[in-house]
Amino acid sequence: MTTTRWRWSRRQTLGAAAGFAAANAVPWYLSGRAVHAQSPTEIVHWSWLAASDGEVWARMIDAFNAAHQGKGLQIKMELVPEEQFMTKVQAAVVTGKAPDFGWGTAGMRAKQAKDGVIVPLDEVAVQVGLDLADFDEFALQQSRYPQYGNGLFMVPMDLMSLQPLVNTDHLQEAGLDPDAFPEDGAAVLDWAQKTTKRDGDTVTRSGILMTGSGVHPTVTWGIVAAQMGFQRASPDLKTAAVNPEAGLAAMQFVLDLFDKHKVATRDVTDRYKAFGTGQGTIFWTGPWTLNGYMQQNLPFRAYLFPKFGEKRVTYFEQGGLELYQQQDKGRYEATMQAVKWLSDNSFLWTTEGRGASPRKSILSRPDYKTAGPPWDKRGAFVDGMAFATEGEIPVQAGPDFTIYSGGNFLAKTLEGVWAGMTKPEEAMARIQEQWQKGLDAG
Amino acid sequence: MTGGRGRNDPSGYLLVAFFTVPFLLFTVAPLLFGVYIAFTEWGIIGAPRWVGLANFREALADPWVANAFRNVVRYALIIVPGVTVLAFLFALYVHQRWPLSTLARTLFFTPNVVSATVIGLVWVWILDTQFGVLNHYLGLLGIPRIPWLTSPDWSLTGVALASIWWDLGLAFVLFLAALQDVPEDLYDAAAIDGASRLRQLWHVTLPQLRPVISMVVTLQLIATMRIFSQVYVMTNGAPVGSSASPVHYIYQVSIVQYRLGYAAAISVLLFLLIVLVTILQRLLLRERVRG
Repeated sequence: MTTTRWRWSRRQTLGAAAGFAAANAVPWYLSGRAVHAQSPTEIVHWSWLAASDGEVWARMIDAFNAAHQGKGLQIKMELVPEEQFMTKVQAAVVTGKAPDFGWGTAGMRAKQAKDGVIVPLDEVAVQVGLDLADFDEFALQQSRYPQYGNGLFMVPMDLMSLQPLVNTDHLQEAGLDPDAFPEDGAAVLDWAQKTTKRDGDTVTRSGILMTGSGVHPTVTWGIVAAQMGFQRASPDLKTAAVNPEAGLAAMQFVLDLFDKHKVATRDVTDRYKAFGTGQGTIFWTGPWTLNGYMQQNLPFRAYLFPKFGEKRVTYFEQGGLELYQQQDKGRYEATMQAVKWLSDNSFLWTTEGRGASPRKSILSRPDYKTAGPPWDKRGAFVDGMAFATEGEIPVQAGPDFTIYSGGNFLAKTLEGVWAGMTKPEEAMARIQEQWQKGLDAG
Repeated sequence: MTGGRGRNDPSGYLLVAFFTVPFLLFTVAPLLFGVYIAFTEWGIIGAPRWVGLANFREALADPWVANAFRNVVRYALIIVPGVTVLAFLFALYVHQRWPLSTLARTLFFTPNVVSATVIGLVWVWILDTQFGVLNHYLGLLGIPRIPWLTSPDWSLTGVALASIWWDLGLAFVLFLAALQDVPEDLYDAAAIDGASRLRQLWHVTLPQLRPVISMVVTLQLIATMRIFSQVYVMTNGAPVGSSASPVHYIYQVSIVQYRLGYAAAISVLLFLLIVLVTILQRLLLRERVRG
């Protein structure tokens, strides 16, 4: 067999390489830099909002860009998955290419405050004239980390809570009055019994929609445990798992929903999808779900979280905008101008987007209750903020403490309890030990 | 590239560099860096701090690591034989040109070109305990509902089923190509000797496919050791870590918890396991060289 050998001279090779390099380099110099030199200041914003709330946030950014057309300031938004968000931000900070600002959750960034990844905003807020007196005091307090200079590390954008959405078709089918949804835990369990459907001993439609693992049983435990008097950390952040007996009672409460009352089933895989397809009647969730369920015409209303324990408490979450460390410190002011505009104009976000507004001036607007989703769907998420106090623990190990997680230390530990593989006392001992280490580390 | 006078032509290096440089930069260098940070404590911010073997000691004592490695062995025991046997049978079906074999050829390979995320999402629906198609048909046969993804006893099997369906395509193509390469005269000779179709399969086809079987098993073992996407999409390792895999745990530790040194140590352990299993498997399935 003969082969024809293709010969290429050294001159041809070097010429081709030079041509290749030139073809790649020239457009970069001519187009990239020249355009950049003429373009306005571009503020890079990273967001992890990917549910129906993400669409409203995109409208907020579009509105900012439209309002600042020709004024030298534009926002470029990029979506980053929530779970990878802070890892990518930290990597970007290290390489000196961090986004200017992004979404954060109050109380979860102690480590980043300590490491200087997020920057304190007190001074720059004053510089751009952000009216901090117009903000809810609790929201501002949640944006600070007392052990790391007590600076303001976030501009609060929305206040969120977990409240029950209830499928009104199921209520009517069971002869229950949607206008009389109870606030007492025992009565809610009774309603759940009446709306649960079973095939023999197997729950085929949940009265209280739960999953057998992940976020939902964990957050239910966290809320009910707090209602029963359990504290994840003492107020001075010195002692972990105060009143563990209440925590154990709350574990039993969750187990009873599955095994004693039989109003929930561990068979539900995806809680959002399950409620949307009518697999459950009562489903406690956050305001970020409202738009999605409304778009699919699901018949539902939102109510205030029931009182299962001694005091009425529900999960609290605060979303806000944080600024990341920049090599060019001059960018902070321009970024804060953008954040100020977004906060001042957050009426759309806190009516159609999600949650209650942390701005007094917005809450007091006469049209606040009539804008966005109907009040019977949105109202509980505004009024319910009064008792939404079970927020984050502002220490470096904060992610281990959060009750709204499906994969953190707490959720993994409790999963064994829900599956009957770990005794509640054993789980509580592990939680106490790990959390105490977390508090001791500061 | 050697010139007529036995001298190296430098332009050859330039051509090789188009592959070598990116390979060194983006594969070898990160790999070596990964091994280095396995001996450090590092959370992206700040310089890595040397901790010696501490990460490895912690990994060997971590029950979640042990659980993930146990799971990957269980995954391998289901997925590798599942893919190998089914892919061989499907290839045989198409090779024999049995009815609808042209359509079947497309159908068997199609899952392989779909992303793991799509496969995962589709199979979450198929395997839903309450409303899944699979449980519906099993119910018609009188089999009670199986909690494929929600029970610690079943979740690994559920994820493995989806993986078999997804991975089958490549092995199917390899087997089909190998079947088409088996010389016809071997079958003719066997037939003249009176061998039945089954004996021909056993004594002619399978020995001829031995190198391909070895390759399919090796590739599938390595793919299974690295299983991640299906786990992440279908169960996120739940319940109680019953479906978690080492790569899923590495992802959790590194990307979610920022413990890159510890994650790198687990990665090194996984790498060593893959090397060990590959060597063992090659020894077991290698062709005997006759003198």
